Amino acid sequence: MISDELDLQTDTVEEEAPVEACTKCTACNTVCPVARNTEIFRGPKYLGPESERYRDPHEAAVTAGLDLCSGCKLCEVTCPSQVTIQEYIRRAQNKGAEEKGRTLRDWVLGHTRLLSAFGSMTAPLANFGNRNPLVRWVMEKVVGIHRKRPLPRYQFLTFERWFKKTHPLLKNASNARIARSARLAWAGGPVGEGRVGAPKRTVAYFYGCWVNYNERRLGEMVVHVLERNGVEVIVPRQQCCGIPAVVNSNIDLARKYGMENVDRWGELPPSVDIIASSTSCGLMLKHDYSHLLDIPGAERVGPRTYDICEYLWMMHENGELDLKFEPVEMRLLYHAPCHLKSHGIGYPATRLLHLIPGVHLEEVDEGCCGISGTFGVKVEKYDLSMKIGSRLFGAVRAAGSDSVLADCETCRMQVEHGSGAHSAHPIEILARAYGYR
Amino acid sequence: MKVDVAVVGSGLAALVATRSLQKAGRKPVLIWPGLTSLYFAYATVDVLGYPDATTLEPIDDPERGVSELINEHPDHPYARAGLAALRDGIAVLMEWLTEAGFRWQGRLDRNLLLPTAIGTPKPSCLVPDSMAAGDLRRDEPIVLVGFEGYEDFVPEMAASNLSRSWNSGRNVRAIRISLPAFKPGQLFTSIDLARSFQEDTFRHDVAARLRDAGAIDGARIGMPAVLGLTHDTDVHRRFQNELGRPVFEIPTLPPSVLALRLFDRLRKHLQETGIELIWNAPAHAADVVDGRCERIHLKSAARDQPIEARAYVLALEDMVDGALRAGVHTMQDPFFHRPVSHSAVPTERTDESLFKPQPFASVGYAVTDRLQPAGGDSRPLASNVFIAGGAIGGYDPTRTKSRGGLAIATGYRAAQEAMAA
Repeated sequence: MISDELDLQTDTVEEEAPVEACTKCTACNTVCPVARNTEIFRGPKYLGPESERYRDPHEAAVTAGLDLCSGCKLCEVTCPSQVTIQEYIRRAQNKGAEEKGRTLRDWVLGHTRLLSAFGSMTAPLANFGNRNPLVRWVMEKVVGIHRKRPLPRYQFLTFERWFKKTHPLLKNASNARIARSARLAWAGGPVGEGRVGAPKRTVAYFYGCWVNYNERRLGEMVVHVLERNGVEVIVPRQQCCGIPAVVNSNIDLARKYGMENVDRWGELPPSVDIIASSTSCGLMLKHDYSHLLDIPGAERVGPRTYDICEYLWMMHENGELDLKFEPVEMRLLYHAPCHLKSHGIGYPATRLLHLIPGVHLEEVDEGCCGISGTFGVKVEKYDLSMKIGSRLFGAVRAAGSDSVLADCETCRMQVEHGSGAHSAHPIEILARAYGYR
Repeated sequence: MKVDVAVVGSGLAALVATRSLQKAGRKPVLIWPGLTSLYFAYATVDVLGYPDATTLEPIDDPERGVSELINEHPDHPYARAGLAALRDGIAVLMEWLTEAGFRWQGRLDRNLLLPTAIGTPKPSCLVPDSMAAGDLRRDEPIVLVGFEGYEDFVPEMAASNLSRSWNSGRNVRAIRISLPAFKPGQLFTSIDLARSFQEDTFRHDVAARLRDAGAIDGARIGMPAVLGLTHDTDVHRRFQNELGRPVFEIPTLPPSVLALRLFDRLRKHLQETGIELIWNAPAHAADVVDGRCERIHLKSAARDQPIEARAYVLALEDMVDGALRAGVHTMQDPFFHRPVSHSAVPTERTDESLFKPQPFASVGYAVTDRLQPAGGDSRPLASNVFIAGGAIGGYDPTRTKSRGGLAIATGYRAAQEAMAA
């Protein structure tokens, strides 16, 4: 969508900074939310580039302390030399897991999609179990999932099935080629040659496991907002983005997932943009597929992937966004997820929300919420995760807003759990302003 | 993305420029290149400590010092920014610090002389209240306190150096105490200590151990700056009351907790008052058409992201945050990809002695009298681009102890120019 006419050859700094680019300046340690909250974590500088210089592929991995890295990526966001600190830690962690074997817990958390599919199929039972103290006690003892951590509620009707039901013309959109022909049938001709009334934009929605199994309504709202703006939405078949596997020391599994996605989504016609409503899924598609996971063909996916709010803001700047909003009289607080900072796009959600009459939006900047995906779920990390988030919880309680907005689903879980406040994706406010109920 | 004014940087110059624009009712966006060295090394705002890089006698009145510097060197960045910009910029900063919950002190016409972690005196203009009691222009005895197992502050060395350079040198002593809750041999950082000092029981225990160590009566207590990790914890006041003696913090090696408190809070305050930050997107190129910059380019995840603004304040600070790129034969700026003034071959960039002035410290953009980047013919490379902070060439901020004042003066002036552009 954005033309790239830059000549990067003139840039004397390499795109990917080698480990030697680390000047040991300590910036990463000063912002690391884990290092700020416990003295038992040595910090990203030591575990990333400093240790990397001594790691030998032929020797057994030294993994002490590595599991305390939560994967928030704030170290990389902070690094003035663009050192890929996280990737060094992840690779070392993965090597250790390959040598020593993975715990049942890490295996389970890495296979979130399988787990969620099962939870969704057995929704009433799974939800009962997840809220039953005895089940949770057993879960803590056997699997290592902290009993106080609320687990997401599963829903029986998945987003995927909802979409097929409500979009019958696209119901066979199970792979890219069929999606394309379905779309052509809809639009009445190839993109660009469309007759009057044909959608100007087509997006493939990477809804992710969360929307599919836990928060279908968010997906419905994303589709509503896009269609309201004349954007055609398709949902090609998709696999887990892979981030739960990455942070649970299973890079091979993440790559397998990623390759499935790249194979299917790379085949989409070039005019189709990809959007994601989960900050971390989007970041995997945009960045980690081509970097940490080194997936062939990732460049056919990443550069056309947008966060949903990023995409809508771009449409707004092109004059394509419908601005006929109903007023939404709400006092809202915005918390920027760590992985959103990694996108390098600013906070497009806040820009969009300021367009809506009645919205009173303030930003809270207390850093990481502490949950970092599956990190704060683990029995030995739960307390630390709550300690990291405590400043945020305090600020949220002090603000007393109607809702705390965050683009990332686990941030929302953590905010609700830690502060008792209501939390929502920014799209929910936009959908409401468009009359979605 | 289209914005009003784009400010690039994360140091004091960028923050002051952004705040000045905000206060004037404009809508700046702050493009954060990663943290600069300021974030982990800064503690005070030094306006002018020494008239030039080789003079050893510190300046008492920085305002007069800057004024003389401007008269003698009309090309100096202080002269480009102007004395008024320094005064107004400092007013903006001090008001901001108060609004953000800090207690700082200092006047433009007076330097304090504060001990560093190795016991040398350093002239500083604006300082946090928690450092002020260390002023070496006063005579009260000083007891320097270190902690067993904490490697970043060696009180014996600091006391030994201080006793040589300070007139009242016979009145300085060093003591060392063990810490509760930290085991011998355990590695810990200033951040760990600062977090522990926020806990009442830990702090009470340290105060008791310090009193037991004896001989603190009648003295002021100097200790590494670890009194609280966040700006609002008030640990310094509480510890001082608990000890019953004046206490002053001494900035430590990175990570500097003082800097962390300062920049964390100012950044937060900007965001909480509606300024958008763009993280993790290094700015790296400027498209100039007919003498105006039409857009700059950011490297965001997955693709290039153009930013179109009416004006740009480029406030990168130093080599650390990519203000300049050093190749083998030239040093270039990251936006116009031109060799900067005063560029040199590698061997000429550094002096063999670590303690002599370093030529690379003065390398940077040549600027016009409106702080626009200047080409070889002294004409602006782009009329709506303004340079602020450490990336301006022609002065050595480290040796003259003027980094903070120059960041403020040029940041403020660049903001004024950006509004007029």
